[in-house]
Amino acid sequence: MNLKTKINLISISISLVITLLIFSLITIIIGQNPAEILSIILNDVFATGYGMGQTLFKATSLIFCACGLAICFHAALFNIGAEGQLNAGSFVIALIAVYFADLPFPVVFLLCLVSGFIVSGIFGLIPAYIKIKKDVSEVITTIMFNFIILALVNFFLVDFFAVKSTMRTEKISENFMLTKFSDFMPFFSGSSLNISFLIALAVAVISYILIYKTKFGYELRAVGFNKTASKFIGLKVNKITLIAFFIGAGLTSLSGINFIFGYKGFYEMGFSSNIGFTAIAVALLAKNNPIGIIFSSLLFAILEYGGLSVNQQVPKEIMLVVQGVIILAILSVDKIVNNYFENKKDF
Amino acid sequence: MKAVEFKNISKNFGNFPALTNVSFGIESNSVHCILGENGAGKSTLMKILFGMYQSDGGEFYIDGNSVKFDSPHDSIGMKIGMVHQHFMLIDDFTVLENVILGNETTTGLKINFTEIRSVLNDIINKYNLELDLDSKVSDISISSQQKVEILKLLFRDSGILIFDEPTAVLSPVEVKEFFKIIDEFKRNKKTIILITHKLNEVKLIADRVTVLRKGEVVYEEDIIDYNIDLEKLAQAIVGESRVSIAVDKSSENLTNETLIQLNSINLSRNNVKILDNLNLSLRKGEVLGICGVEGNGQNEIAEIITGLEKDFTGDFKNNNVNVSLVPDDRINKGMIMEYTVGENIYLKNGRKFIASSAILDDFSDKTINEYDVRLTNNKASLGSLSGGNQQKVIISREISAGNEVLIFSHPTRGVDINATAFIHSKIIEERNKNRAVLLISSDLDELVSLSDRLSVLFKGKIVKTFDPEELASYRSDNKISLTPDIEIKKEKDNQLFELLGKLMIGMAD
Repeated sequence: MNLKTKINLISISISLVITLLIFSLITIIIGQNPAEILSIILNDVFATGYGMGQTLFKATSLIFCACGLAICFHAALFNIGAEGQLNAGSFVIALIAVYFADLPFPVVFLLCLVSGFIVSGIFGLIPAYIKIKKDVSEVITTIMFNFIILALVNFFLVDFFAVKSTMRTEKISENFMLTKFSDFMPFFSGSSLNISFLIALAVAVISYILIYKTKFGYELRAVGFNKTASKFIGLKVNKITLIAFFIGAGLTSLSGINFIFGYKGFYEMGFSSNIGFTAIAVALLAKNNPIGIIFSSLLFAILEYGGLSVNQQVPKEIMLVVQGVIILAILSVDKIVNNYFENKKDF
Repeated sequence: MKAVEFKNISKNFGNFPALTNVSFGIESNSVHCILGENGAGKSTLMKILFGMYQSDGGEFYIDGNSVKFDSPHDSIGMKIGMVHQHFMLIDDFTVLENVILGNETTTGLKINFTEIRSVLNDIINKYNLELDLDSKVSDISISSQQKVEILKLLFRDSGILIFDEPTAVLSPVEVKEFFKIIDEFKRNKKTIILITHKLNEVKLIADRVTVLRKGEVVYEEDIIDYNIDLEKLAQAIVGESRVSIAVDKSSENLTNETLIQLNSINLSRNNVKILDNLNLSLRKGEVLGICGVEGNGQNEIAEIITGLEKDFTGDFKNNNVNVSLVPDDRINKGMIMEYTVGENIYLKNGRKFIASSAILDDFSDKTINEYDVRLTNNKASLGSLSGGNQQKVIISREISAGNEVLIFSHPTRGVDINATAFIHSKIIEERNKNRAVLLISSDLDELVSLSDRLSVLFKGKIVKTFDPEELASYRSDNKISLTPDIEIKKEKDNQLFELLGKLMIGMAD
């Protein structure tokens, strides 16, 4: 294990401990026993196959989104637009699956994967293009595109595609639904966990290899570390920016596969419940390392699912507070830990 | 009376001893030079004196009193000031704003500008700094920026002034100016500590020199009436492992085939003319030197040839060749500091899509062995290496790309004697391989000894090009010395240097 990984693990662990302390403090203030709340959460998540399945199901979408964002973040491209990007792709995925119901499953599935990826990817390319051409910060444009995309999807859905008096598309053919874990592991029965989870694990591994073990990954990170030097070294910075944004945004569409093909069978307005934003925190917590993202996604999924189970004791907003505190803790602790190690070796 | 006295100062970074029992004194009201190779501990010692680092052992005295600094705040309080190699200025602020930042004299909440202005103008006049308080720092030259740093120290009334390689970024003319300022400091009873690599400068300006090697004091001597044995000094700096490579450049393989041609190139930025009808051609098997005061268009020429700058008018012909560039600013333009040696080279020269550790190690081992890069372990990030070693890695990367045209921009700036000699030999080696080399530098010794042809750039125009015959007529023999710093210049050289100096500031035709 190299020093960098060690530093990261140390700072993440310290942050989690700090978060736990603050969480305890808050629960005490509102008159609850933190140990009890924690045990309810853990019990609910880990005691039953259903709880575990639901948690893994929630983690699946987070892994897809956060891996996409990590690719952007490594190039110092602050894509805040995952929420919009994933909705655009998911909407198109559902439409294609509904309207090509006669084609065989593999064809439809592949078509959905590709077109969803491309549609989400294109909505990543637009801010990237504006950034390259006019030097407009992608933070602004991607945030704005969240509003634009959600409004557009809303318009098309309500006016053309929605099932009457609902905010969702029609259901896709039952034959298209992905295998659920409960189909072969009764342990998970009742939960929505499906084989998208395995796809997510594969995506994380592939992203990891892409970022850390390939020429493209080295170029990507070089641009993130030092854009000027990258130009002087001869890297095509603009091309890398476009590719990073396309792949990054494209991957977010896969969370739609999890939801549509794995769970509900249709696209529904608001299905994403802000995972595009939560994924930013997930990626940050994992230091943009896709393997780390698997674990941070699990943590956030536990918080989310567990938050529901303690709804009676504490307001569910507590879990949002915990998510926020984790990010703040990691940002500050990281600095301190890094400085500590730097002073030890620097010369 | 000693202004500063070090007693048994030691400092370790991890297991690496950066300083071991360093003891010496610095007389007050003198110019004291500290010499040593990259990584010898000079900067570390100065950072301890300035309060940026704390020593692990030993103590030091200011004006005879034992002191302990926890941060630069403490040392500034003791009237110690330091001009770092990389200036600490805010580009978007004016000279005035930069100087008073952190030192605002206020009445209530209001900054007392009139009073400050008059104080600063007095200082500027007294030391002949030639600064306009209202210019933006981003608009003024490097040497003026250095003067802003100096003005900052004088405004705080610092008595002990530390300069970390102050002349590395200056042209010969500017160096002379800088020395005048130093003389003025001495006349005003200040103590000056100078870290440098250039031995000729030591001879010209120092009262005493201390040489550090591997964190220990190895040599100390007073300099009276410019008398010092530079040969001996050089020996002390590099120790036993002295390399002295003399490459024979006479092998004539000038095919005269032109690879790069710039015809009537014009380039303006913010309505300021940078290149003015510039003509230049670069041929196979030659070193074309570009000599000039920094900021006369050198960077733009390099950027046009490498294809980074496209916003120009005129005719640029590239005879279907690839170009490598060793940029002037290695930290911001030259490397990814977070990457290892192998990763930096793979980034540019890697052909395989998958970066296996075998490939990275291979790149890394080759460079480390061939270029004698010194590092604690092969997985160390490039940012943790000393400047000279970083430069070697960048040069290795650019050369091993195997391109027909190589541009070296200030290749030995802030690099020690051994590494400089090595880099020079590499440049000549490439030339002898029939590559076209463009050498941009402000070091006249370097330019004159390496160039086949030498062009002088002034205000974006080439005002004079010396062809090989003309250059040879100034040279005493065909062999070049690759450690020009310590060579006592021949008279002919001096004539050439004088001419170049004039051309560079537009004083000759």
